[in-house]
Amino acid sequence: MKNKTVIIKDIINSFVSIPKGLWITLVNWSIARPCVTELYPEQKRQLPQNYRGIPVLPVDPKTGKSRCIACGACARMCPEHIITVEIDKSDPKDRKPSEFSIDISRCMWCGLCTEACPVNCLVMGKDFELATYTREGMIYNLEDLMRLGGEFPAEEVVEEIAEEKKEESES
Amino acid sequence: MDQLIQLAIELVKIVVIAVVVLVFMMVAVLYMVLKLRWVIARIQSRLGPNRTGPWGVLQTVADALKLLQKEDIIPCGADKWLFTIAPALVFIPAYLVYVVIPFGRGMAPSQLAMTHSLGEIGKLPGLSIGVMYLSAISSIGVIGIVVAGWASNNKWSLLGAFRGASQLIAYEVPIILAMVVPVLVSGSMDLSAIVDKQAGGFWHWNLFQLQAGPALPIAFLMLIIAGLAEINVTPFDIMEAESELVAGFNTEYSGMKFALFFLAEFAAAFTLAAIITTLFLGGYNPPLAFLGGQLSGLAFSAVSLFWFLAKCWVLVIFIMWVRSTLPRVRVDQLMNLAWKALIPVGLVNLLLAGAYVTFWMAK
Repeated sequence: MKNKTVIIKDIINSFVSIPKGLWITLVNWSIARPCVTELYPEQKRQLPQNYRGIPVLPVDPKTGKSRCIACGACARMCPEHIITVEIDKSDPKDRKPSEFSIDISRCMWCGLCTEACPVNCLVMGKDFELATYTREGMIYNLEDLMRLGGEFPAEEVVEEIAEEKKEESES
Repeated sequence: MDQLIQLAIELVKIVVIAVVVLVFMMVAVLYMVLKLRWVIARIQSRLGPNRTGPWGVLQTVADALKLLQKEDIIPCGADKWLFTIAPALVFIPAYLVYVVIPFGRGMAPSQLAMTHSLGEIGKLPGLSIGVMYLSAISSIGVIGIVVAGWASNNKWSLLGAFRGASQLIAYEVPIILAMVVPVLVSGSMDLSAIVDKQAGGFWHWNLFQLQAGPALPIAFLMLIIAGLAEINVTPFDIMEAESELVAGFNTEYSGMKFALFFLAEFAAAFTLAAIITTLFLGGYNPPLAFLGGQLSGLAFSAVSLFWFLAKCWVLVIFIMWVRSTLPRVRVDQLMNLAWKALIPVGLVNLLLAGAYVTFWMAK
């Protein structure tokens, strides 16, 4: 059984605390607190610089080709074995891939392939809207990856990323 | 022959009024659901529905169409017949209550049904037992809820129905105790007469009247608290508490039957706003005389309709505000509030009002 003064206190408290709560919701209701909702398809979120989207092959602006040397390090590193690389043997002095495909349906965006790449030609892109109507549509070949990759960023940016990688591996 | 034609005209008129009230109720509920979602979203710093139609205004229409298309499932082991009539048992009282609500001067559906020409609008009295009719009809709805819970053959539904029955029976009493006070002061059970007594500026409203001591403001507070419990909105929604009972008495319902429950619930919220407006906030009278009080006849009826709906809307928004603020009470707290707080206070308040009216009020 509650003490009488406690009961009276409770009654007085309820007359104070309910308007208090109503006031808090009113403040949230007013213009003082703007909505935090982002209207997704219309407004897209600013992605961070090291965002991991689909792995892509950027194009070298000087030659118009990928810098890939078809070494296959990414394919070997991939925990899911979803990367296929074939060497184009037509010109022995210029190693380049004849086929390069990623089955993105099983990719887990770990980024190990980009870390394994000795020439930094495979990078994690910014695209994340990858839904398709077929399973085959999830397999990206060389042309797709180069189209998604766009051009290599300026040298400084590449160096910056490389330095970041180095710091990460050291720590 | 003339009498037959007269009768046919009367019947057609009544059907037209009934359909107009039904359509008003549906449109009001559709917009209230939308507004509720907007208000709660805004309070939680979200945007709310904004995709269907301009600013999302067609969202609830789309929801209603979806419910109409859904398969009508009757769970095995359910009492088919009771399961089917339960939504109607809840919906019909919620609809019947609208008969006496004075939407404007001379514009309660019961008055309109008696009116024979435009000139007569506003000159006829309302139903002479309006307040009694209101409290009697609105307490029938609980039967439908118990039937729905029993017929569903589901323990959540049955628990929800039991809670609903105990809650509604407990809160019927303080509601009637609160509604009797303005009846005592006005000396009439006719809702239109109660409203006409409050004509003039807002200081004539029953809420601000001190001719019965503090009885009227206390009754107003009681009616709001008990009314919130009666229409099952969040601080008192223990009968359909989502986190405890899935969805309470309507767990097994889907499609059109669920839509009827939903409609009845929101219609009851509007009814509560209408009752509070009528009894305490001057009903259809404008808050200040120059905002329509100087008009007469049909013009005043039109203006009064506007003021009634505006006041109801403000109260509906207030109910939504409370709903999105307060957490749900426990079952024992709910029962304690009714039996240990509201009913004793209501009885003392009624005694006080009676004493004031008998001994001190101006004869």
